[in-house]
Amino acid sequence: MKRSYFGVISLCAILFMDIVFMQLLVHQYFHQNYKIVLLFMFCNIILFPIALYIYKQEINKGGQSHEKK
Amino acid sequence: MTDWNNNLPKNDDNYTHNINRNNERSLDRRGFMKTLVGAAGVFAVASLPWGTLAAKELMGLSDKEYPRQKIVDITNIAVGDSVEFHFPSEHDSAVLIRLKENKFVAYQNACTHLRCPVYWVKDQQEMVCPCHHGKFDVQTGEPTAGPPRRALPEIIVEVESNSVYAVRVKRYET
Repeated sequence: MKRSYFGVISLCAILFMDIVFMQLLVHQYFHQNYKIVLLFMFCNIILFPIALYIYKQEINKGGQSHEKK
Repeated sequence: MTDWNNNLPKNDDNYTHNINRNNERSLDRRGFMKTLVGAAGVFAVASLPWGTLAAKELMGLSDKEYPRQKIVDITNIAVGDSVEFHFPSEHDSAVLIRLKENKFVAYQNACTHLRCPVYWVKDQQEMVCPCHHGKFDVQTGEPTAGPPRRALPEIIVEVESNSVYAVRVKRYET
């Protein structure tokens, strides 16, 4: 099985975006820009299903190649 | 009968000695990805309370309402003069300034530095805190000089039948 780092790298990127959005969210909350807070909350929430999707894709990738063998 | 003691069973019925202790705590790629997804989930959940609070602020549920309070009759305050009053409670001193014929501004006059009372100085057209010479812009309440860094909380006023009323305190803004 050829090793694929797509999942690891993209999930790391997603987690990094999560951290950045969270930081901005908290800052904007105290700056009282509440609409931007809602925007960042939406970003953070939408990133989780994306991460889950990437994870599932990666798991299936490995499974298929194993079965073919 | 074969002696099984201290011997691994054969591979085909190895149900009890199948724990590979050497790899028990190792984090493989799949486990690492699982951790990352879990962390993303934690972030998603953690942003929810902030969003809830922000939505609450946007809907204006945090604006406190106080009973209207008469400050002064228009005839008793000349253009350029100020009147001190207390709003919303008797411990919150405030100052009303008549800038033009029909323009009134009011601020809670506890200095945002160390809560000394801030006075309206007509000659300088500025609000001055005598303790450390902090100065505030009279139009916005923003600090213009001295140690204070935050604006004075503004009080919304209304003019009705020749009297000035304090309606509510504007949300504190940075």
